[in-house]
Amino acid sequence: MKMEKKTVGRLDIRLWSGGTGAPLLYLHGFEHHPGDAAFLNRLAENHLVCAPEHPGFGTSTPLEEYYDIIDVALHYRRLIESWHQGAVDVIGHSLGGMFAAELAVISPHSVRRLVLVDAYGLWLHEHPLPDPFALAPRDLERAKWSDPGKAPMPEPSAFEAPGDADALAIFRAQNLGTATKFMWPIPDRGLNRRLPYIEAPTLIIHGAADGLIPAVYAEAFAHLIPKARVAVIRNAGHLPMLEAEDEFVLTVNDFLA
Amino acid sequence: MRFHWFAEVTYPDLPSDYRERYRSAWVTPPARLADPQKVGETYRMFIRLMQLADQVGFDGLTVNEHHQTVIAMTPSPNLLAASLATSTRNAAITIVGNSLALYNPPTRVAEEYAYLDCVSGGRLAAGFVLGTPMDSVFAYGMPPIEVRARFEEARQLILRAWSEPEPFVFNGKYNKLRYVNIWPRPIQKRIPIWVPGGGGSVETWDLVNEHDYCYGHLSFSGLYSSKPLVDAFWEYIDARGGNLNPHRMAFTQVVCLANTEAEAEREYYEAVRYFHRNSAPGNFGNPPGYTTIRSMKASAAQVSLGRSKLTPEDRIRASRGEMGFWEYDEKGYIIAGPPPRVRQRLRELITDLRIGQLIATPHVGNLREEVAAENTRLFGHEVAPYLRDLWADQPDYWTPEASQKLVAQNAPVVRGSDPRSAARKGATAKQAGSSAT
Repeated sequence: MKMEKKTVGRLDIRLWSGGTGAPLLYLHGFEHHPGDAAFLNRLAENHLVCAPEHPGFGTSTPLEEYYDIIDVALHYRRLIESWHQGAVDVIGHSLGGMFAAELAVISPHSVRRLVLVDAYGLWLHEHPLPDPFALAPRDLERAKWSDPGKAPMPEPSAFEAPGDADALAIFRAQNLGTATKFMWPIPDRGLNRRLPYIEAPTLIIHGAADGLIPAVYAEAFAHLIPKARVAVIRNAGHLPMLEAEDEFVLTVNDFLA
Repeated sequence: MRFHWFAEVTYPDLPSDYRERYRSAWVTPPARLADPQKVGETYRMFIRLMQLADQVGFDGLTVNEHHQTVIAMTPSPNLLAASLATSTRNAAITIVGNSLALYNPPTRVAEEYAYLDCVSGGRLAAGFVLGTPMDSVFAYGMPPIEVRARFEEARQLILRAWSEPEPFVFNGKYNKLRYVNIWPRPIQKRIPIWVPGGGGSVETWDLVNEHDYCYGHLSFSGLYSSKPLVDAFWEYIDARGGNLNPHRMAFTQVVCLANTEAEAEREYYEAVRYFHRNSAPGNFGNPPGYTTIRSMKASAAQVSLGRSKLTPEDRIRASRGEMGFWEYDEKGYIIAGPPPRVRQRLRELITDLRIGQLIATPHVGNLREEVAAENTRLFGHEVAPYLRDLWADQPDYWTPEASQKLVAQNAPVVRGSDPRSAARKGATAKQAGSSAT
């Protein structure tokens, strides 16, 4: 994957891209962009992958320039239109899943097929989610991974200064602070009312051991999206693309083929 | 030099293992631990203590806003302020302050502050705060990244609501009001505005510098803990050609007065430990986005911040209640002992940090009322008058004019000088204090 800086509308973002094949947009989760992660390179073997960093994350333009979920959806509509003529496949993970679903609602002509991976965006009263911003670091690790002992170290990330603790603190504050705009205090911005508008065939992938979003949420997404089915990945938590890379890539390729 | 009376309205009867069992004093303290009758008694005690402070010459009675915590049960400081405004005569009502982002619409703050200014006869100092993360972010559900923008919009709305003579339209990002025209309006044409902080955000420093507000470093850890940040504040203001008048700086300091050192230790030690043991924010102290990236970078770059005399271990031990009484004193968390010693140490603190508004804290933790009352009396009679010479050559624009006059007429003065004859001659606080040692 190659990283480049790109201007979309008034926003400057970082974007990782590579591969050949049908165009595939990947929207990352609430903690950080995965950078040049192995799973993205695997997907690039038979897709033209475009993995932008969200505005407000990393070194992309800070959040002040846009401030509502509709602004995010329109940003990604514009990014797709500047990249490819016609609809593309879209994968959205975690917070990126919320964004991808909103994009599919607001711009159905932009999204051919949709994959939501351990997505935020719903709130089930009987299954309250833990507050990821108040978890002690150790508890966050436990919630994220099926097996924290086998978690990839270091986790693939767009962070560019390994070993610099101050820079890492700032990187995380930047990313998570931006995420609070959409996830605080409850990651529900009304998506449950809008999911029925999604026209694209949708695959809901969910790590069976996700301690941040229990797997019951996958069923709730599938229930609200007209053409959706669920694929649960065992031995994976909130990041199945890292903990169960092979199964994740196979499942995605199968669906998008 | 001004002296304000302040204390956190702390629940006095927590189990001794509270810290170990419940970890956080904020956001999630079990409500079942508090007896509402005892809470009511505590409120009445604080009102009595502050009425006493008004009688013994304090310049201000200070209240603040916190939510869902055992150490400060004042979700609406304006209610406490209202009790004081009608039952005191001289002192300013210094509210430090209202968490502007949490009022919807924020004209509520403009209205209540105007009410308080009217009912107190123009004695209000109006505090605008962001609120701690525990308050604004966790208890009130505000996305941390929005708190400052909402605060700023609310501030502008409130100032206009006080001053615009005609109804006006306010089309903000967060507040949309078609008819803004509050009743009543404040007595003071220029209400003193305080914007206390504690985290050293450069955005707050820019705000107070630009508008010449009173800043405040409200901590409970004293000189050595706070000196790097307070020094950094003054350096920042100085570098920008700002106002270096000490009266635009407030600082909190726990004071434990007694006739002897042994008595001080006996009466206050348990209460000091109680306060420090039961004030931990748990995991709620630093959510991402609350402190801006700019402030994080500025903090990392401020050389003075590395100069604290306190070690990280000191801070941990202090927060666990593991210091001895005189170690708390030596490390600056408290200033304890007989009046001459306290005077001397406060004089050092005030000049070292360049403070014109000392927010003395004569009650702490689960201190008994009798001890806090005696502390208050000793401070009013034996400490404050002896320090009023400090900064007497500099005007104070941050305490209400009405209360300045009343306190100057009625406050105790240094023993040996005759307060009544001095008052008849129209003495100012400056003159009354000029013979202080």
